Amino acid sequence: MSKTSRSILAALLLAVAFAGAAWPQDPAAAEPQAATSETPNADAATGGDAAAGSATAAPEEFRTLDSDVQDLKKEVLDLNKDLFVLEEELLFPSNTQVAVYVSLDVGTFFNVDSVTLKIDNKEVANYLYTAREAEALVKGGVHKIYLGNLKVGQHELVAFFSGKGPHERDYKRGATLNFEKGVGAKYLELKISDRVRKLQPEFIIKEWE
Amino acid sequence: MPAFRPTALLLAVTAAIAVALPLYAASNLKGREAPDFVLKSLGGENIRLSEFRGQVVMINFWASWAGPSRMEMPRLEKIAATYQSSGFVLLGVNMDDTEASATNFANAYGITYPLLLDLRKEVVREYAVETVPVTVLVDRGGSVRFVHKDYRVGAEQTYVSEIRALLKE
Repeated sequence: MSKTSRSILAALLLAVAFAGAAWPQDPAAAEPQAATSETPNADAATGGDAAAGSATAAPEEFRTLDSDVQDLKKEVLDLNKDLFVLEEELLFPSNTQVAVYVSLDVGTFFNVDSVTLKIDNKEVANYLYTAREAEALVKGGVHKIYLGNLKVGQHELVAFFSGKGPHERDYKRGATLNFEKGVGAKYLELKISDRVRKLQPEFIIKEWE
Repeated sequence: MPAFRPTALLLAVTAAIAVALPLYAASNLKGREAPDFVLKSLGGENIRLSEFRGQVVMINFWASWAGPSRMEMPRLEKIAATYQSSGFVLLGVNMDDTEASATNFANAYGITYPLLLDLRKEVVREYAVETVPVTVLVDRGGSVRFVHKDYRVGAEQTYVSEIRALLKE
C-alpha cells in the first residue's frame, strides 16, 4: 500500500470517527440539554398541574383496581360453578344418576321426623329432619335426600317415614316402588300428602320422566 | 435400580401412620369448621349443629358410665343457664349404647340442656373422640376454637373465660 493511499485511509477513518462521535449528539444529546435548561422554569410552571393530575389519577387507579378485583371474583365464581358441574357430571353421570326427593303436601296429618331410604335392600340414606327443615317442607320446599348411581335395569326402592301422625301419635309407614332404570337420569319423589277422607297421611313414590 | 426393600417400606408406612394418627385426634379440629351433624335429642327433637350458626356452641361428649362426666355435667348445666340468654348453646352428645341409660342419667342429675343420642357413634367418629368427656367450643362462625379432653375440677373456670371471650367476638 502506497503512502498516499495510507494517508487517504487514515483521513477517512478519522472522518468516520468524528462523524460517529458527533452523530448521537444531534437528536438525543441536544434534547436533554434543552430539557435541563428549561427545567427550573418548567417545574415552576407545571408543578401545580402535575399535582392536580396525580390527584385525579389516583382515584382512577383505584377504580381500575376495584373493577379488576370484581372481575377476578366473578371469574373465581364462574370457575367454581364449572368445577361443581364437572364434579357432578363425573361423580354422577346422567346415564347412571338416580336422585330422590322428599316433598310434603299440606302436612296436617303427619309431622315428618325422619326418612330412611333403601335401594335394592341396601340403606342409602337416613335423614333426620329438624323442626326448621320440617317447616320448610310444609311451606313447599323439596329436599334432595339422595343422589347416587345405579345400573340400568330393575331396582327396588323402599322408603320408611317416621314422625308424628294424627293426634300426635308416633307414626311409621313404608312405601315401595319397583322401577326400571333406563339410559338417562332417574328422578323419584317421595311424596307425603294428606288423605282428607280417612284423616290419615298418604305416602307415595312418584317417578319423574 | 436399587432392589425393593420390604423393611424400608414397612418403616415408611409406620412413620406415615405415626404422623397421621395424632392428626386424627379431636384437638386437631381446632381452627377448622366444626363437622355438621344432626342427632335426636332425649326430648325427641332432631337437632342440627349448623342451625346454631351465629351462636357460641359447646359440644360436650359424655357417657353415663364415665366418672368425670358425672362431675362435669352439673357444672355445665349452671354455665348453660347463665349464658343461655347471651347467645350460648350447650349440646351434650351421649356415647352410651342405649337411650335408657342416658335418660336415667339425665333424670338423676337434673340436666335440662339438650342431650343428643349418637347410638351409631357417627358423630363421635367424626370428632375423633378418644376419651370421655371431650368438650369442643365452636365460635359464632362455626369454627372449632377450643378442645378440652377429660375433666379436672376447676376446668369450668377455663370454660367460662373461653365462652365469655367467644361471646364478645
